[in-house]
Amino acid sequence: SMQLVLRFQTRPSVRRLMLAGKAPGLQHPNSNSILRGLIITLAYDDVNRTVTKRLLEKIGCEMPEMDGFEVAMKIRKFYEYHWPLIIALTASTEDHVRERCLQMGVNGMIQKPILLHVMDSELRRALQSASE
Amino acid sequence: MELVQMQKSLQDYTKSLFLDGVLDSQFLQLQQLQDESNPDFVSQVVTLFFQDSDRILNDLSLSLDQQVVDFKKVDPHVHQLKGSSSSIGAQRVKNACVVFRSFCEQQNVEGCHRCLQQVKKEYYLVKNRLETLFKLEQQIVASGGMIPAMELGF
Repeated sequence: SMQLVLRFQTRPSVRRLMLAGKAPGLQHPNSNSILRGLIITLAYDDVNRTVTKRLLEKIGCEMPEMDGFEVAMKIRKFYEYHWPLIIALTASTEDHVRERCLQMGVNGMIQKPILLHVMDSELRRALQSASE
Repeated sequence: MELVQMQKSLQDYTKSLFLDGVLDSQFLQLQQLQDESNPDFVSQVVTLFFQDSDRILNDLSLSLDQQVVDFKKVDPHVHQLKGSSSSIGAQRVKNACVVFRSFCEQQNVEGCHRCLQQVKKEYYLVKNRLETLFKLEQQIVASGGMIPAMELGF
C-alpha cells in the first residue's frame, strides 16, 4: 500500500505543497486553523494517487486560502462515484471537529500529538469501514 | 484532412464514447485537471491505468485458475480495478467490476470466471477507444492545431 502525505498551509498560500513519503511533515505552531491542514490520503494504486495529487495541486492553486474541510469537500465533489479515503489530522481538541469531519465525508480523524498506535488503529478502522 | 475536420472528428468520436457509456463524466473531470502546466495529464493517467490494469487482469487470471480459489486474493484486485477504472471514467469496466465483486462475495468460481471475461472485454474496448482518441489528438497537435474543449450538451 502507498501512503501520500500532503502538508497544506492555510496561511500563506497552499502553493507550498510538500509531498513526503511517510513523514508527518513540519509543524507550524502559529496556525489558527481548526484543521491544521494536513490531510493524509491513502492511495493504493498509481492511478488514484496521481489523480488525487493533481487534483489537490489544482484546487490548491485555485483556492489558496482553503482550510482542510474545503479541501475534503472538493475531493468528494471531484470523485463522483468512488473517492479516496480522507483522514484528517488536527491539533484541535474541540469536540465539534470530529462531527464536522464526518459531515464533510472525511473518513477518519487523528489528533495531534500523533501516537503511532492511535494512527494505526484509526487508519485500520477507516479502511475497515470503507470496505464495508 | 483539414484541421477543422480533424477537430470535428475528435469531438464526434469523444461524444460517441459518452453516448455508448464507455466513458462517463469522471473522464471530463480528468480533462479539467489538464492545462498548460500539465498538458499530457490525461494520457499519463490513462497510461498508468493501462499498466495497472494489465497487471491486475493477469493476476486475476492466475488466481482464478488455481485448484482452490482464494477469494481473499481475488476480491482486492477487483476492488482496485473498480477504483482505478472509476477514477478515469471507464464506466463499463467499473460496472463489470461491481458485478464481479458480488460473485466474489458469494464465492462463486464459475460466476467469477464469467465476470473476468466480461471485465476483460470492456477493458480492451475502452483501451482501444482511448488509444484511438489519443491518436486523433496527436494528429491535430502535429498539424499545429489545438484540441477543442469538450462541450457536451448532456
